[in-house]
Amino acid sequence: MSKIKKAINYMDLRKVRFWVQILFFVFFIYGGYLAIDLGNEMPIFSCGYNRENGGGCYFLGLQHQLARPWDRLFGMAGIGVLTGFLTFLVWFIVFNKAWCGYACPLGTLQDWITSLRKMLKIPYSSYTLEQYKFLKTIKYVFLFIVIVFPLLLGLGLLNSEWRGAFCDMCPGRLIVPLFTLDFSQWYIDFSSKTTLFLTAFGMSFTALFFVGSFIKKRFFCFFCPMSAMHYIFSDWAVLKLKKDGDKCTKCGDCYNVCDMQIKDIADDVKSKNILRDDCIFCMKCVAACPEDDALHVDILSMKVFSSTKGGFTKRMEFSKDEK
Amino acid sequence: MVDFIKRDKNDIFSRSILGFLFKNQKFLFTLRVIVSGLFFYAIFLGINNPAKENLFTTALFWSIFWSFFMVLTLPTLGRVFCGICPHGFLGKYITKFGLKKQMPKWMQNRFLGLLLLVLGWWGVYYIFPGVYRTPLGTATLFGVMTIFAFVLYYLYKDMSYCKYICPIGTVCKAYSKLSFTWLGSYKSACGECETFDCAKACPYNLKPFTFDKKNSMEDCTLCMECSSACESISFKFKKPSFSLFGKFKSLKVEIWAYILILASIPISMAFHHGIGRTTAAKDMIWSKTAQTFEGFLPSYIDSVGLFVFIYAVCFTVLSALVGMFIASKILNKPFKDTFYNLGYSYAPLFIFASLGHALSSFFTRGYEKIVEGFAWAFGFSIDVAPLAKRGDDWLLIFSGFKWLAIGWALVILYRRMKLIEANKLRKMLAFPFAASLIVFYFGVNQYRAYISEHYPRGGGMHSMHGGGAMFQSVPANKAVILQKGENRESCSVCGMKLAMFYKTNHAAHTQGGQTHQYCSIHCLIDEQKIKKVLLNDIKVVDTKTLKFIDAKSAFYVVGSKKKGTMSMVSKYAFSKKSDAQNFVKQFGGRILDFENASKIALRDFKAKSIRVKPIDTLFFSERDPNAKRMRGMGMMHMARGASNRVPTRSFWLVTKSINRPLCIKNAYGKFYALDRDGNQIEPKISKKKGCTKVTIEVPNNGYYNLYYVSKNDTVLNVSKYEYKRFSHGSDEKFSKEKIEPRVLSSVGFEIVRLRENEDSFYYRLSSADEVKFLVLKDNNPLKSARVTFKTQFGWQKTTRTDQDGIAKIKLIQDYNPDIEKFNKRFREKFILTASYKDKEKLYKASYTGTFMPSRDSYASYKYALFITILLLIVMSVGVFIYRYRVQKPFREVKFDEQD
Repeated sequence: MSKIKKAINYMDLRKVRFWVQILFFVFFIYGGYLAIDLGNEMPIFSCGYNRENGGGCYFLGLQHQLARPWDRLFGMAGIGVLTGFLTFLVWFIVFNKAWCGYACPLGTLQDWITSLRKMLKIPYSSYTLEQYKFLKTIKYVFLFIVIVFPLLLGLGLLNSEWRGAFCDMCPGRLIVPLFTLDFSQWYIDFSSKTTLFLTAFGMSFTALFFVGSFIKKRFFCFFCPMSAMHYIFSDWAVLKLKKDGDKCTKCGDCYNVCDMQIKDIADDVKSKNILRDDCIFCMKCVAACPEDDALHVDILSMKVFSSTKGGFTKRMEFSKDEK
Repeated sequence: MVDFIKRDKNDIFSRSILGFLFKNQKFLFTLRVIVSGLFFYAIFLGINNPAKENLFTTALFWSIFWSFFMVLTLPTLGRVFCGICPHGFLGKYITKFGLKKQMPKWMQNRFLGLLLLVLGWWGVYYIFPGVYRTPLGTATLFGVMTIFAFVLYYLYKDMSYCKYICPIGTVCKAYSKLSFTWLGSYKSACGECETFDCAKACPYNLKPFTFDKKNSMEDCTLCMECSSACESISFKFKKPSFSLFGKFKSLKVEIWAYILILASIPISMAFHHGIGRTTAAKDMIWSKTAQTFEGFLPSYIDSVGLFVFIYAVCFTVLSALVGMFIASKILNKPFKDTFYNLGYSYAPLFIFASLGHALSSFFTRGYEKIVEGFAWAFGFSIDVAPLAKRGDDWLLIFSGFKWLAIGWALVILYRRMKLIEANKLRKMLAFPFAASLIVFYFGVNQYRAYISEHYPRGGGMHSMHGGGAMFQSVPANKAVILQKGENRESCSVCGMKLAMFYKTNHAAHTQGGQTHQYCSIHCLIDEQKIKKVLLNDIKVVDTKTLKFIDAKSAFYVVGSKKKGTMSMVSKYAFSKKSDAQNFVKQFGGRILDFENASKIALRDFKAKSIRVKPIDTLFFSERDPNAKRMRGMGMMHMARGASNRVPTRSFWLVTKSINRPLCIKNAYGKFYALDRDGNQIEPKISKKKGCTKVTIEVPNNGYYNLYYVSKNDTVLNVSKYEYKRFSHGSDEKFSKEKIEPRVLSSVGFEIVRLRENEDSFYYRLSSADEVKFLVLKDNNPLKSARVTFKTQFGWQKTTRTDQDGIAKIKLIQDYNPDIEKFNKRFREKFILTASYKDKEKLYKASYTGTFMPSRDSYASYKYALFITILLLIVMSVGVFIYRYRVQKPFREVKFDEQD
């Protein structure tokens, strides 16, 4: 048992993550070819517009479900919404935000773009604290659009052009189907002012996605409403990221490796549950922590992956070897 | 305490008459006794005689107390009404003998009084209209309030009721800040005072000698007890609302009083009565919300009023908060400080505007009501004419008060902004945001003016129960119901609410002696001519007087611009010919008698159906060709079946053009149907009014086929319809088999639309697609059959099937409306006919379907790519330049002089 534990704690997280990400990417993007279908309640941006997906993003269905007329939404149709939501929740609580760091195709793509940048030896950018604080609120605005706009539509306050408003704005709709060579989402819809605005927004956001994720790690995840949605329910999740503040020396290693620039991971020595709304649960911080058990990943309060001195030094050697 | 003081010129107490009015305790006592007497007499009369003739109760409370004592005096003289308020007057004595307890902490909350006013009075006013305006309602309200007040006076000390619970106490305190009077004291005398008689005399336990210093009169109700206790007390004329120009300790509840009162009175009124009485009302957000919630709300509340109130409060509060929040950010001050400081600028908005309204309604209604009401109450009978008519030009002066309010609010805002310590530029920037509520109020007024200018008055939205405003409608209490029984308020034929269509109501006696009332002549004719019920003594509502008159002598205006009930051709009856003629002048139409009007009404029952020959082309329509388009009748949505039932779909067999199909009288052929998997299912056939309706069950996603086959010795005529059922709700997975084209082999001649590769549940034919149709005869492909394709807009193409029996049709795009009206989901109808003739027989088949505009006609890949690439380049270059500059700051290049 202790051997397995040691093996896990001493693993080269980067390699493991790289392969897990590829696996999930193939699974979700090309799952249709392999006759895999996990339903359309996945807590990741595996876009439903990709016909061959192995499981679709929950927001596409959610927006359609919520856009029903209110008399139906609060009638029988409400049961459908509820079961959809519960399915989403069941998926989510298994992996918590690790869906972002390991399974989300759009996230994986951003990590690949980051590696490309590394290869080209172009330095990355980061936000100042002020910018960071402002930008992280945007995802809640998008979440508002995802949930409230369809409701307004059902109420008759918005016209049907707003159906799936967030999808029209989402870069995932444009990028994810590209992997199955489907370019059909790349268009600007001139049929009404609303669709014109939404699709043009989507195209611009896509351009921003590419440039942004090239110079900033996990650029899009700051704005991702799914991440916001995750955070609301993250307390119920099985997988947890915990911190033992007494063991922390505030060396700042974890903050330095964090793609999402979460300062609390280094600064906060009081909270036990250190998962923040931006976190993508990539566990890089755990791998980078040189203190025994200061950071650890728990499944039902059982430590499955902890920071260890030994593991830290071993991983340092790996990276030395690479150099 | 001093007995004499040399008073300033602006001191009201120094004037002989004014001083007497405000200071003489005997006079004030008499006045209070009179007011209290009237107050209780009005309550007594209201309960004792709640009939309509009791003008007194409502006149006293709403035309005098509210209009004059509140609205008129508050922004001018201040809280003088509190000085003569019957509650306070009697309360003072009750408190003296009371228990003098400390009020519990939770009750010491001024918001209680405010909420009582906003929700308990205004909320109820909008939600249950007419409750308070009746003598009984008014009397009950004030009676209950009086008992409640007296109990609290008895229990608690220092007149706490006035301070915290009295619904208008807080409001009075807030708005009296605008007044130009001030109760203060002479410093010279007070400086040496050691007895503090003014404070001892005060029933509210206040310290009048501190008012000047605090720049606040706190809860002073101007009862003037202090002024008789000590001569040093002054009551001065000052500049209007001068106290708002200086610093004082702000009170949260006052700001909220300004905002909430603004929301519940002028804003709600503008929504409900200003905009609500025009035809634009039904498009407003509150009407739509009300319609949505119609089903959830009990029927005795006015849902429109409810949502008007909710939206008004939300909009008002939001615009105040958002604006102030931005202003506070710009000023770089805490939000609370900014809001509760600058918020005092909202004070004039309601009260000044309301002053204008109170004055103008005094001239139009109030005067008459007051005089006649008082006369009635004391046993006289006087009939006076109102001082002005609604719409008189000079009354427009009073609407100017609104602008005064806005201007004054901006002045106060400016003066209060001055008190804030901040950079001038910041203040200038913050000003427009801090004025957000003022701007909002301005905007609402402008919008209301715009609406009432551009939309005709109509319908009395709020008088009706939800729904759209209609000409025919009257409030339920105004409709005369002649019939009896449980459903007396509904049309005895169609069950529609009679009041909603009251102006077209008819009534008649049946043979059995019963009275039936009908929503319109349509239902009357239905019973009389279609159902052949003998009716006599037919009556109709006079559109003008709303009374029932004899239909035989009535003048019917037929075909006017006003919409009809149950008919595209409206019919309104009048008892006088002149009224009918006036109506024709205004809205068009022609005048007929009852006989002719009912002949026209009978036309609506003649279904448009024709006889066909065996070779005529027939097809299926998803819509009943004789169904009336009911526009703007939101409340008539179709009843949905219980969700556990299998969904069904109905189709009508029709002929002639796809645009205007007609029903078929002689549909004697056979109907067949296939389910998604190609199994034959039994269609349900019903005939009504010359139309044949086919209903099939459509439980699953996929294509259902419908056939109509008529044959004789020389002709085989097959009409086919493929109905695609697709519901997002079902989780059914797509597979190719589910959309396979199905063939009914027994038919013998049929058209099959072959599926494209990308065909799926979501797939729709669209312009520019090439569609393949296979013509089968005896289940074998038939070559060189004549195939004609025709679209809804008339484009047509004839071709012949090839070797494999396939005809290829490229769908053109002949739907080209203005880009503004372009609907990308437009379903253009088409019909395909195939015919073939051999030695003995003529074979005919038809297939109808729809297609949509192609995506290329409204979506552009080119622009999308262009924008993305452009942005990519611009952003990349931007990032590059930014980084270049950050990393390599400009460095001076030094030249070596030796070079």
